[in-house]
Amino acid sequence: MAKLLMFHGRECPHCRKMMPLVEKLEAEMGIAFDKREIWHDEANADLMRSYRPVIASKCGGQLRVPAFLNVETSDVVCGEMDYDKLKAWALAQVSN
Amino acid sequence: MKKRYWRCFVCNDIHYGIAPPDVCPTCKVANAYVEITADEARKFLGGGPDTTFAPADFRKAIDRFAAGNEFMVNPDETKVATLLGGIFENEENHGFKFCPCRLRTKDWEEDLRLVCPCNFTIHETYKGVADGECWCGLFVRRK
Repeated sequence: MAKLLMFHGRECPHCRKMMPLVEKLEAEMGIAFDKREIWHDEANADLMRSYRPVIASKCGGQLRVPAFLNVETSDVVCGEMDYDKLKAWALAQVSN
Repeated sequence: MKKRYWRCFVCNDIHYGIAPPDVCPTCKVANAYVEITADEARKFLGGGPDTTFAPADFRKAIDRFAAGNEFMVNPDETKVATLLGGIFENEENHGFKFCPCRLRTKDWEEDLRLVCPCNFTIHETYKGVADGECWCGLFVRRK
């Protein structure tokens, strides 16, 4: 099973919008995102920073949230998106 | 070029930049600035009146800031309230009004670009985008 991380911020509106979509996807597909809040948990923040080259290169040069990361393949997608796009990304990860 | 500190010898305005203003924006005197140290600048600024901002005050400040620009504060008040809450939590916890939707890198120069309002007009979420907004959505292009 691919290890999927979701970095999010508690007061980030994009993250708030994506969270129920992620939870719906988890329930529908039986996969799990390891969800890490990055503004109120320094260990999570450091974890996200450790992936800075991977994430920033796909996210406008910055550590944007929400960011979704496949730890094994370094595939990243970030920002707000509709359910179908998120699902397509997640499906591509678990099928690899 | 490196930014430095400057003080108006007439009214004690403090300027931080690569060069001083030709004319002091406060007292309007020309050639009024002399270079000072960072420590002096901190003393001048630190001894001034308390200008603590509550979120409502910051909201007024960014409304005034946006009024003269092609963007405005997002009309979605729920979103704005969420963002202002995060911005003020970040200031309390991390020292600056960091954007709630991007993580600071711990590189000082880099992270100053995350202080709200940031220079979002050059970002891909705004520049050349008809319904552009800053990354967090606090500012949106004026219709």
